Amino acid sequence: MIKLAAQMLRRRIGSALATLVALTVGVVILTALGAMVESGLRYRPAAQQYAAADVVVAHRDLSFTTKELGDVNRVTVALPEGGTVPAALADELRSVPGVATVVADVRVPVVGSGPATGHGWSSAVLTPYEIIKGDPPAQAGDVVLDARLAGDAGPGDRTTLLVGGSAREFRVSGIATGAGPESVFFTDAQAAKLAANSGKVDAIGVVAEPGADKKAVAAAVGKVAGGTGAKAYAGSDLGAAESDEGSARTLLITIGASLGGYVVMLVGFVVAGTIGLSVRHRRRDLALLRAVAATPGQVRRMVVAEAMLLGLAGAAIGVPGGYLATEWVHGQFAGRGFLPAGFPMSIGVLSAPAAVLTIVLVAMLSALAAARRVTRIRPTEALGEAAVEPAESGKVRLVFGVLTLAGAGTAGSLTVGAGGQTALAGAIGMLYLFVTAVALLAPWINRTSAQLLTPLLRGVWGTSGYLATKNLKASAQGMTTVLTALVLSVGFGGSVWFLQDNLQRQTVEQVREGTLAQHALVSPAGLPGSAVADARAVPGVQAATGVRRTSVILKVLGDAEAVPAQAVDVGGAATLDLRVTSGSMADLGADGVAVSQLQAGSSGWKVGDRARFWLGDGTPVELRVAAIYQRGLGFGDVTLPREVVAGHTARNLDDQVLIRTAPGADADRALAALAARYPGSALVASADLNQQLAQDLAVSAWLNKLLIGVMVGYAALAAANTMVMAALARRRELSLLRLVGVTKRQVKRMVHAEQTGLLGVALVIGGGIAATTLVAVVNALTGDPVPYVPALGWVAVIGGTALLALVTTVLPIGRLLRVPAVESIGTKE
Amino acid sequence: MTPTPGAVAVRTEQLTRVYRTGGQGVTALAGVDATFARGTFTAVMGPSGSGKSTLLQTAAGLDRPTSGRVWIGATELSRLSETALTKLRRTHVGFVFQAFNLIGALTVEENILLPLRLADVRADRRWLAEVVERVGLGDRLRHRPSALSGGQQQRVAIARALATRPEVIFCDEPTGALDTQTAAEVLALLRAVVDEQGQTVIMVTHDPVAASYADRVMVLADGRIVRDMPQPGANRIAEELASLGRTVQGVR
Repeated sequence: MIKLAAQMLRRRIGSALATLVALTVGVVILTALGAMVESGLRYRPAAQQYAAADVVVAHRDLSFTTKELGDVNRVTVALPEGGTVPAALADELRSVPGVATVVADVRVPVVGSGPATGHGWSSAVLTPYEIIKGDPPAQAGDVVLDARLAGDAGPGDRTTLLVGGSAREFRVSGIATGAGPESVFFTDAQAAKLAANSGKVDAIGVVAEPGADKKAVAAAVGKVAGGTGAKAYAGSDLGAAESDEGSARTLLITIGASLGGYVVMLVGFVVAGTIGLSVRHRRRDLALLRAVAATPGQVRRMVVAEAMLLGLAGAAIGVPGGYLATEWVHGQFAGRGFLPAGFPMSIGVLSAPAAVLTIVLVAMLSALAAARRVTRIRPTEALGEAAVEPAESGKVRLVFGVLTLAGAGTAGSLTVGAGGQTALAGAIGMLYLFVTAVALLAPWINRTSAQLLTPLLRGVWGTSGYLATKNLKASAQGMTTVLTALVLSVGFGGSVWFLQDNLQRQTVEQVREGTLAQHALVSPAGLPGSAVADARAVPGVQAATGVRRTSVILKVLGDAEAVPAQAVDVGGAATLDLRVTSGSMADLGADGVAVSQLQAGSSGWKVGDRARFWLGDGTPVELRVAAIYQRGLGFGDVTLPREVVAGHTARNLDDQVLIRTAPGADADRALAALAARYPGSALVASADLNQQLAQDLAVSAWLNKLLIGVMVGYAALAAANTMVMAALARRRELSLLRLVGVTKRQVKRMVHAEQTGLLGVALVIGGGIAATTLVAVVNALTGDPVPYVPALGWVAVIGGTALLALVTTVLPIGRLLRVPAVESIGTKE
Repeated sequence: MTPTPGAVAVRTEQLTRVYRTGGQGVTALAGVDATFARGTFTAVMGPSGSGKSTLLQTAAGLDRPTSGRVWIGATELSRLSETALTKLRRTHVGFVFQAFNLIGALTVEENILLPLRLADVRADRRWLAEVVERVGLGDRLRHRPSALSGGQQQRVAIARALATRPEVIFCDEPTGALDTQTAAEVLALLRAVVDEQGQTVIMVTHDPVAASYADRVMVLADGRIVRDMPQPGANRIAEELASLGRTVQGVR
């Protein structure tokens, strides 16, 4: 059967090209996604700073159990600020058998000739760092510089380091070299003092005695550490204790998993569609096979074998393509900062075979589904004169379609009633359900719309329009793939793509409208608390607020999520307008919290409730909800008093100081002087701050747009494939029309009318779905009932569809028309 | 009367076929009893809608009768599953249709071998050589059907039908799309197949000239056999058909 299938395939490769292209592109996408997931899963950051340690105790993630519908789930989330461990634990660890050295490591962000991290000198053994010139630090004012930072400086020189937001002078006692990120070393006491986090350290490094069983030591250390929420990292996990590249790993896995499922679904849909169409077009051949000799099973096997062969051919082209795509994605991701530059992308040892297997299986299963149709081809059809496509659309399909539509409606109404994440989930569910309903109901939609469009098409195109409506009705079944793929492109593309635009725009707008301050003092190195006080003292300054950006961890629908948050000091109300809808920012005090409407909706919080969550370093807090505000996109979903987060962020400094000056006051010079007092800081107009924000947002939107671009592109490809196939199969029909007296021009006009009808309906339905979803989501996220669609967006959607019609139908039909009608009427289709 | 194996190729008993379209039943065959002896060439004739094509389809196992029974050789068809029916067709029945007889993707040789290949039976090379010789296509075996004339295509179809040495060959207007000269060649070939190889041919046609190549002419009207006679010559057949037309019109 395979041999027969191969023979048949070889001689009609043209019409099989559509399926081949869909399968090849499917393999390319899946291989790339597989490589991403594989890289994510295999990624074990190599230990650098702790390379010489045997065990490191650190608190890098938070775990808890939730109970959802009786299922106990263990949820683990990486701590956005990296947690701390009690310093006292170091003493306990010293008594563990087999332990030689225990070092309590603190990290102090410093800026010298470049950004670096300060440690106590005893941490040097964990890397190890070795002195190449001079001596270890002996006094509080001594520092050992990393050779990479030292430049010309040598032992005995003075050097200025930016620590805690202020410049301090140190004496260089020595120069050291070691692996990992750039480090400087103070005396242990000085490092602890600078870290200003009493009783807590960043991590504890343990070196085992020579000859000790390292596994046993690690287990014993883990036991002692277990009570504090910290974890013992050893062996190949050691790198995870120092690296926050877990987010890159999660990103890759999430992208691969979410997009992979969609692509598999789409490949199945496209392949079933194109194979179904090829079965339809070869109806007479298949009927002849049935009449002459082939059992229904044999014909089905032949169709499935064809799909398998096409799948394998697609794999042969797709796998190298997938590798190229992986390379490209890796480069782009690293270039845009989604991945650390050195992130190793494994070139899919497993992903390529997995992708090929998936695609071939999906192709065969979809072919099997399409081949069920073959069973219904009666051998007597081989005797008939014309190949008439029977109108057959199952009742089961209709019932499921109507049920799905009802489900979409329910999900839609859910979105209106609920708030927060529930509304979002409802809107996305609605999007999926709507598209599925359209896919199921497509034959009926095509037929009904052909009926409804009859007066319009006839009015505009006359006789050609009349013929077009008849053709639309007759090909209702065959064009289901086109309708579905286009609705999917427009529906998904329109909602998700424009959602990004809306989010970007809303975020920037919220920040612009919500920032009452005209100036901002910003510093990549961070600003100490004194900066706010100094700013307030400047004549003409009405108010100044220190703002610290962080994240907190909230339970959301049985899962944990890091949510962007800001911490402000008192007086925030004068520089920020978060558009409070209930409660008051003045009530924030030292133990309150303000949350966005979206977050309040998701967590079910009202003003006066007790909100329980975790700070960025994993510290649990319980705070009084003081206010609920609207501008969550611009300022984060959670606003905390600075007192609450003090000591719980990695840097423990403010990111910016917002400064509001009195109208007419000329404080520019004094403020410039203020900026000069804090090295590394700069005074910017708050409008410029917005621009930076817009650029940052554009970078993250790029990723989402890339993903949606792949989805939409693939769906459009599916539509294009089917349309080209359908157009080329019309040779005989068009010749017949011309022989009975329809002019070339009329045929062309007929095709135009058909395309307008088919694509117009797809645009209207897809656009409707996109609009509904967009309104629901944008309303839930921003409270804005009218989403924003850029003018270019309209042009892209409508122009893209028109281009699709032109390339896939109008041009091929034009080519068919160039052949004299008499020539093609004789040939078999 | 019991079927006599060896002597009877095809037999039908009270064959009825009713098509249901939109709730209304249209009777295409109203109880046809017919016996086709081995080694004979029968022309089935009749006006459009007389049921001649339906008789061919049901007798050949392409379509199932509403009631009544069909034997091909000694096998009764009504109890066979679709798959069993297909297997019977590919070894015991040959087909030649009016047009679109061949799979465009396969060469002439592959088309001829198709039934054997689907049956997973090794081809008898000597027999095939003889068949190909017989239909006169020796030099066209590697061509695709699109490179052949209509008459050549019909000869390929006849070769395919002969390839399995079937019990019977059913032809549905085999010369309907051919010119007179080519049609005569194809009909002569069918005649020779009966005379020289002892094949059984049942041919549906509306052309008295084509029917004149047969041994026996059976005329259907309104789903019943109205004439069943030894082949009396083309002119006589034409007259019979014409008178039948008058009778039918008169009745209506």
